[in-house]
Amino acid sequence: MSLNIRPILSSLLRNRTGALLVSLQVALALAILVNATYIVKQRIDSINRPTGIDDANMFAIDSTGFTSRYDYASSVRDDLDYLRGLNGVIAAAPTNAIPLSGGGSSGPLYKSPERKNSDAQFAIMYEMDEQGLQTLGTHLISGRNFRHDEILTPMTTDNQSRRIPQVIVTESLARYFAGNTSAVGKVIYDPFGRPSTIIGVIADMAGPFTNVSYRRLLFVVPQQPRIYGFYYLVRTQPGRRDEIMRIAAEHLSTSNPDRVIKSVRSVELYKKEVFLTERITAICLAIVTVLLLAIAALGIFGLATFNVSTRTKQIGTRRAVGARKRDIIRHFLIENGLITSAGVVVGCVLALAVGYGLSRQYQLPRLDLYYLVGGVLLLWVIGQLAAWQPARRAATVSPSVATRTA
Amino acid sequence: MLAYNMRLALMSFKRTPGLTVLMVGALGIGIAACVVTMTLYHAMSGDPIWWKSDRLYAVTMDSWDPNKPFDPSRPQLPPPQLTYRDALHLADSGIPLRHVIMHVDKSVLTGAPAQKRPEPVRTRITSADFFAMFDVPFLYGGGWRPAADAAAEPVVVLSKHENETLFGGANSVGRIIRVDDVEFRVVGVLDDWFPHPKFYDLNNDSFGAPEDTFIPFGWTEARGKPPTGGDHDCWRLDSTNTFKDYLDADCIWIQMWAELPDARARERMQTFIDTYWAEQRKAGRFERPRNNQLINETQWLVDQRVVGTDDRILVGLAFAFLAVCLINTVGLLLAKFLNGAALTGVRRALGASRRQVFVQHMVETGMLAGAGALLGLMLAALGLWGLRTLYAVETDFGANGYQDLAHFDSASIVIAMALAIVAAFAAGLYPAWRVGRVPPAVYLKSQ
Repeated sequence: MSLNIRPILSSLLRNRTGALLVSLQVALALAILVNATYIVKQRIDSINRPTGIDDANMFAIDSTGFTSRYDYASSVRDDLDYLRGLNGVIAAAPTNAIPLSGGGSSGPLYKSPERKNSDAQFAIMYEMDEQGLQTLGTHLISGRNFRHDEILTPMTTDNQSRRIPQVIVTESLARYFAGNTSAVGKVIYDPFGRPSTIIGVIADMAGPFTNVSYRRLLFVVPQQPRIYGFYYLVRTQPGRRDEIMRIAAEHLSTSNPDRVIKSVRSVELYKKEVFLTERITAICLAIVTVLLLAIAALGIFGLATFNVSTRTKQIGTRRAVGARKRDIIRHFLIENGLITSAGVVVGCVLALAVGYGLSRQYQLPRLDLYYLVGGVLLLWVIGQLAAWQPARRAATVSPSVATRTA
Repeated sequence: MLAYNMRLALMSFKRTPGLTVLMVGALGIGIAACVVTMTLYHAMSGDPIWWKSDRLYAVTMDSWDPNKPFDPSRPQLPPPQLTYRDALHLADSGIPLRHVIMHVDKSVLTGAPAQKRPEPVRTRITSADFFAMFDVPFLYGGGWRPAADAAAEPVVVLSKHENETLFGGANSVGRIIRVDDVEFRVVGVLDDWFPHPKFYDLNNDSFGAPEDTFIPFGWTEARGKPPTGGDHDCWRLDSTNTFKDYLDADCIWIQMWAELPDARARERMQTFIDTYWAEQRKAGRFERPRNNQLINETQWLVDQRVVGTDDRILVGLAFAFLAVCLINTVGLLLAKFLNGAALTGVRRALGASRRQVFVQHMVETGMLAGAGALLGLMLAALGLWGLRTLYAVETDFGANGYQDLAHFDSASIVIAMALAIVAAFAAGLYPAWRVGRVPPAVYLKSQ
């Protein structure tokens, strides 16, 4: 079957401004579509990245003692006894940082006591007790958990120089120190050159930070957090979180007049807050992209309609000299296809240029070529669909039109 | 003549209602997208103290790790905060008209009569000039004398909001409250004050509200414990066994600002800093290359990246989108004008000049663009409302300041009007010119 592109092309070139404008529109639409979709995809990926912890069933309590009468040891013991005794609580632990909250502490760890700069690996620290791992909902890959008698009292100005004998690290951090061998038993050094022995390795998990490159490099130390920046983390049975949050908030806010419960919030809420910009950007980009496609489709439709209406006479003549209805439809669809294709070719170049620019300027990853292929196909389909109705109308032009004078 | 052209345009709209709706709709959506993103961008990149920003300078020194810059992606920038000891020394220069050294901490308020439970708050621990230097408005009372800083006098300034919580909005000057269980006397209550962004401390929550309470800088030491709020960055962890060690450590957590009214004052301040730097370097500190900068407030907002990457991308996207809408309109207008060329041909034959034909079609385009801008403004209002709702739904923690940004303001209207003019010219010029060039004879013949 011959497509008869020659005559279509020559009629296109005769009337090139309109075609040029539609091509340009398609080109811009493709460039925007591809890059916007790619950015949306990245945002959604970072929001939905598996956390490796039971964040859906966890909540955090911000508790601070603020009077001189506040007794840390007995308060924390009472609170933990209360929380762990609640029906529906799986585990509870004190912590210095809340998962996915965006706030926490980090520092370098070293392979040797000399602490060479090239040797430093930044990692994020959790201070927790023996129920910490269970509260997070992570699991040991090798080694063991902390024992109750290993939990140190909070760091104070009097005991700052003591060392922390045991540490549990995530798989990624273990790999830094031990490569592919077992990290359990390996000794690592803190910024003061004090040694700690890795006693357990846990699966990689999301920590308090989502925006640092070393976000999966975490270590847990068996130490109660300091009085300031102190939280309880509580993990409940599925579906019981909100109910237990209410009960706990009510009890704790009145159980001790020397401290204040600043907040009781689900980890889900912290996560939502931390990814706020990502989510809003994704939503805005998606809305604009859909509108853009609609506008582009309307533009193609409008111009095709115009073309048909100005060429009624020619169509009639062609019909009169023997062209079938499907020939007319084919003519307009091919014409549209040519215009879209020209736009798509320019659009590919433009999309790659924009993608490159974005990756340079904003350190975004380079555009994935699958998105380009998908965008090309989508625009092609939209172009044909938008031209379909005008082409059908063209086919209904009666051959008798050719015989009229007007 | 204008009225006549407008009447012609209206008739033309009536001839092709579908096409007209399509064009106005496309322009409206395009303009709306730009107005929404530009309004946000404008609000974010605003200068909250523009009337004196030319004399406000952030004071910075590069005290960071000799082996790597504070921000490896932008090595030319010194760290945004100072160490405690450096800040204390620089504050003693006596050169700036006003200066402030400060940081933020968390506290608990108790002891107000109407108070039911302890109030956790953010406290700014700052030297006395803060209020005068940043033109902070007072509802009752005022700040404190510089002497109160050195002596760590127990005086406190409350935000308007905090005064409402603790005292039901009454004049509380002279009343006593407890800050972290220590008695403080209220000396001032602020009026509404929401600098967007919170330029004087952009470390956390750039668009959040200012702090709830303010106490003299001397309390940094008098509280006897390291603060728990704000950003504390240390590159070297010397043995810090006591609180005093912590104050002397190479940790940065103090913000410093200076009001330097003229170039001479700036030069003197710069020399003062550099001299101090050289002395300290001899003593073994400041191993990095000299990079002590007085950063003007306007530059500061740029350096500290108040406007995020995503915001810029959205503005770019909106303009690309508007471009598509415009090209769309050019195509449709061209089609429409040429379709009506027969009519134009008659007008030309009856004596209308090319110029008159051009003007007639530009008026028609202008009206389309005007309608588009109007629709755009309505859609933008809707869009901003949607965005506010989105922020409200998505931030269960309450206000983080972003809601306040997504507000229709005079800038939005100016932007929409400017875009309408741009749109009218961009979309109409070529079609209007082109239709004027149609030879009238061709059309007269076939009639």
